[in-house]
Amino acid sequence: MANKKILIIEDEETLQKALTQYLEEENFEVFGAMDGEKGVEMVKKEKPDLVLLDIILPKKDGFKVLEEIKQNENTKNIPVILLTNLESIEDIQKAFDKGATTYLVKSEYKLEDIVKKINETLK
Amino acid sequence: MEFCKNKLKIKVEFINDLDLGKQAKDLGIKIWQTPSFLFIVFGFTAMIIMTATYFISKNYEDPSVLVISECLVVVVVFILEMLVTRFVEQITKLNRMKSEFVSIASHQLRTPLSAIKWETELMLKKFKKGLNKKQVKNIENIYAINQRMIHLVNDLLDVARIDQNRLILKKQKFNLVEIVKEVVAETVPKAKPRNIEISIYAKKKLPFVLGDAEKIRLVVDNLLDNAVKYTNSGGRIKIGIFKSNDSLIFEITDNGVGIPQEQVGRVFEKFFRSDNASRYQTDGTGLGLYIAKNIIEQLDGKIWFQSIENAGSVFSFSLPINKQ
Repeated sequence: MANKKILIIEDEETLQKALTQYLEEENFEVFGAMDGEKGVEMVKKEKPDLVLLDIILPKKDGFKVLEEIKQNENTKNIPVILLTNLESIEDIQKAFDKGATTYLVKSEYKLEDIVKKINETLK
Repeated sequence: MEFCKNKLKIKVEFINDLDLGKQAKDLGIKIWQTPSFLFIVFGFTAMIIMTATYFISKNYEDPSVLVISECLVVVVVFILEMLVTRFVEQITKLNRMKSEFVSIASHQLRTPLSAIKWETELMLKKFKKGLNKKQVKNIENIYAINQRMIHLVNDLLDVARIDQNRLILKKQKFNLVEIVKEVVAETVPKAKPRNIEISIYAKKKLPFVLGDAEKIRLVVDNLLDNAVKYTNSGGRIKIGIFKSNDSLIFEITDNGVGIPQEQVGRVFEKFFRSDNASRYQTDGTGLGLYIAKNIIEQLDGKIWFQSIENAGSVFSFSLPINKQ
């Protein structure tokens, strides 16, 4: 069975790299985008099985990216996990209203737990 | 034209000043604490004083006595009003700026903290091969100390939210006993090296409570963490959960250092640490109990304690039972 494709849209290079390495060790095929615009482009091009998306991003913020993924017929069924350090009720509500599958606060989650969430979502 | 604009601006500002609800929300305080509310109270006070002056001066025949005394009273009250309202406004604005600063700084701190957390985890779980025991231990230490920093930043964020009246809590039903068991399981590794025993006493079928499960986990964690921190090696910590009327009571008893009698009134104050606690453990911010009190009270519960120095403490909180 082919490895599942994950797209990480995250502007912080260290976080992007750590996540990529861990996911590759878990046998995922990983792509990365450092800003929102590139992220939307990559979703359309690579059709990943799942997207990990930050909210504060250059060029286009995470909410806008999520909106565009969910409004496009070809990408609307791709699950999107929000991975951010914002945690106000308003942000969480907004993310779910726009179609996010899960909302995770980075500093509260170990990579191991993020992988668990990814596997649960891909089941 | 410029004058008209200014006049309009003054008018708009005046209307904004009277919008008490908006002002309270902007400054993150209650309506009765807003400068405009105080201004109105002063206005009424001025009117009462003026009426009183009128009745007093009625006894004098010369009408100029009335005019002069009324004018004097108005000027004095007006100056006082201006001073107090400006002062209150300045303090509330500064307070809000301080809370916002904490909030922004904490968010910015979380990114590098997440990076340290993930990088160290990556080393320990995926690239451990080739590292010797000492190196693994060092990385584990970095991970643990970083977790402490994350905890501190979360505390600061919670305090900023409490101070801005922006701590939003969910009201859902949940099993308090389950949460307590989970927190105890996470704390046992910290207590074991010091031979501290933790036990839970709870009846099997207790009703669910109503509140924010995640925040209650934080409260239980803070109380248990304090109990472990301030109990000597070989000590005992007992947790009891029982029903009392329409509430569930959580009670945690330790035989630790206790709180000095003269300081018991300050335990739930922000940044307060008792003298013996600071001597016993340098690590601690004095925020845990302040946060716990605010969370519990916002969920319609109560929090209280009893303590004897050098004998131990009992901290308790109650939460309403879910009736649906």
